[in-house]
Amino acid sequence: MSFWIRRLASIALAVGGCFLIDWFAKENLKDFIVRLVVLAALYITLAVSLNLINGITGQFSIGHAAFYQVGAYAAGLATVTFYKSQPLGLALWIPLMMLVGGVTASVAGLVVGLPSLRLRGDYLAIVTLGFGEIIRIVTQNLKVVGAASGMAVEPKMSTPMIWLAWLLAITSIAVCRNLLQTAHGLGFLAVREDEIASSAMGVNVTRTKVAAFVLGSAFAGMAGGFLAHYEGFLIPTMFTMDVSFIILTMVVLGGSGSVTGSVIAAILLSTLPEFLRDIQQISMAGLVAAAISIIAGVVAVRYVSQHVHTPSTRRIAYPGAIIGSIILTVVLSKVLAFIPTLANASTDGSRIRLVIFAVTLVVLMLVRPQGLLGHREFGWGSLRRSEA
Amino acid sequence: MAVDHLFAAGVNFGSLPAQVVNGILIGSLYALIALGYTMVYGVLRLINFAHGEVYMLGAYTALFVSWLIYGNQVAPVHTFWWALPTMLLASMTVSALVGVILERFAYRPLRNEPRIASLITAIGLSLLLQFGGQLFLPVAPPPNINAKVNPYSDSMTFYLKPPAKPLADKASSLEAEATATEKAYNEALSGVPSGEEPGPTVTALRNNYFEARNAYEEAKGAAANSGVSVTIPKGQLIMFVVTMFLMAILRHLVMFTKQGRAMRAVSHDFDSASLMGINVNSTVTFTFILGSALAGAGAMMSATFISGVKIDTFYGLLPGVKAFVAAVLGGIGNIPGAVLGGLLMGVAESLVIWVGWGDYKDAVAFLILIGVLMFRPGGLLGSAKVEKV
Repeated sequence: MSFWIRRLASIALAVGGCFLIDWFAKENLKDFIVRLVVLAALYITLAVSLNLINGITGQFSIGHAAFYQVGAYAAGLATVTFYKSQPLGLALWIPLMMLVGGVTASVAGLVVGLPSLRLRGDYLAIVTLGFGEIIRIVTQNLKVVGAASGMAVEPKMSTPMIWLAWLLAITSIAVCRNLLQTAHGLGFLAVREDEIASSAMGVNVTRTKVAAFVLGSAFAGMAGGFLAHYEGFLIPTMFTMDVSFIILTMVVLGGSGSVTGSVIAAILLSTLPEFLRDIQQISMAGLVAAAISIIAGVVAVRYVSQHVHTPSTRRIAYPGAIIGSIILTVVLSKVLAFIPTLANASTDGSRIRLVIFAVTLVVLMLVRPQGLLGHREFGWGSLRRSEA
Repeated sequence: MAVDHLFAAGVNFGSLPAQVVNGILIGSLYALIALGYTMVYGVLRLINFAHGEVYMLGAYTALFVSWLIYGNQVAPVHTFWWALPTMLLASMTVSALVGVILERFAYRPLRNEPRIASLITAIGLSLLLQFGGQLFLPVAPPPNINAKVNPYSDSMTFYLKPPAKPLADKASSLEAEATATEKAYNEALSGVPSGEEPGPTVTALRNNYFEARNAYEEAKGAAANSGVSVTIPKGQLIMFVVTMFLMAILRHLVMFTKQGRAMRAVSHDFDSASLMGINVNSTVTFTFILGSALAGAGAMMSATFISGVKIDTFYGLLPGVKAFVAAVLGGIGNIPGAVLGGLLMGVAESLVIWVGWGDYKDAVAFLILIGVLMFRPGGLLGSAKVEKV
């Protein structure tokens, strides 16, 4: 009995938490921040669902934006076509449309998952990338969904339904986390570690891989369904390769296989670079200084990891290298400001957004390929253990 | 609608040879880039996503060198014999340098990590060069080099089947009429003092001239359609010849030199090659030099000889992707396969345009890719390896 009490209580807590976020955001935060709160939830869903495919099942998909797009367009098209001729209110209709988006995207996931049976690693990556591009090019030419000029989704939600986005995010987290506690979930991990060995142990590799693709793309499609009604307008350029790479960066940064890591990385990477949009002028001197000190920092950290083996020295050396490179950035930017060509040149913040993602990917691979958290998860159990 | 066009109007078979030739010409460019992908994959088992960006930097180098030589002038014809080779060499050098730097500082440290790590790094580098390059390189530089330094912008027309005689005669007589009316109209127009509205006689002459010209254009089109001709821009022909020349050099390097033999050995078995005393690092560097220099050459030639594409930091994205597909189509890791794949890819693309599905031209590459990977994962000339436990 206590099992069910705990379960129901945690569900109530999750739903209550979503409405709390909703209430708090609408009461206290500016529109710009509210938008970030919604986007953070969508990116959490996307990152966690890609993590299910990439991190937990060990496939390598880099076309996640395609599923996002399929879900968004399916939901948008359904709303435009059917909303007027049915009795449901918007608050019920939108979750229904998210389901429609999810189902459509999971069919797409099935289509992509099938070649994954024969391909692995880099080949699969290319196929998913290609699939994403095909979807984008087809929508760009399809008159039904507005082709390249986009499609208006009427009616869109009147106020942002923040609770719905967060409920979706929490659901995706819960599904992934709980899946890993079951025998099926262990099958996913087994496929990641060694396909041949796991099939010898009786894991149905085919079904596991396809299930990962279907489940992952379903959540991405639901996020897309939400996005369609949140933005009220869909255009193919919203779902370019860059979006796929942003989601991939989140998964890689958090640590492939760690749900907690994906969530943290999604929150960080979806909010922090957005603040850059407001900055009109970033001095070139600062940028060059940052580039030089990032390189210096990477070299220093790699040197420490290869040549310093005493644990106590390491404990000082790693933060030392990182702090050193931060100090180097500040000092260098002041020094480089004396060079007139660099001091006078500047660029606006929105242009370095994607540069940050690219730098994150490369630096992470060179310095800490397993990501921030590796395979570790946050859980109440680990807290309890640390207390004891 | 594209489909209506296909079935209602019928496909114009007269233009098929022209499209195939066009496809082969553009395909030679894809083949040149695909060689870089396939050689790096053969040696390192790494898809070098940043190869397209190496190509992009080669195009920028050609652009900058052309600015250096000519400033903002239109290039005088008699300087081409040294200016174009200079641009070519500069592009090849800079691209090779970029390739070596990428290998040395990004791929080599990760060689012992899982392959996915290198792949993610390659994606990251590609994004970094695209978006980071935007901060430093001029995006959409005002004078495109093509307009200035393409000495061979005109084209040659070969007739496989000459146009029908009566139609051609009609066209030439209409041409004479169009020239005559144009002359009459221009004379009348020069008689009108500036600032005044031309009178009704001048307007009538102008209408005559327009009518005659339209009739001539129509007859010319009909005459051209009745024959089968192939039109080749001279610049692209030069591109094709240079490409074939470079491929011959590559073949010599790979098959008959010591470094080339080392390359083949490393691609056959990385670990055994290093045990046999082959300097694996220098061989990998050599591979990157070759592949990137070929990409640089392709970039210079496409920037100079193919009009209508502006140079920005995404210049290498689509050619890179298509060349990659070409490499997979031919069998990745297989050098003749890359050339075959590139040519087929070019032909496939121009056939899609010929059928009238030009909007989907970029999707075709991926469809071919998915088809190849599903049904013949080893590519046309490669062989799929059976994985052993």
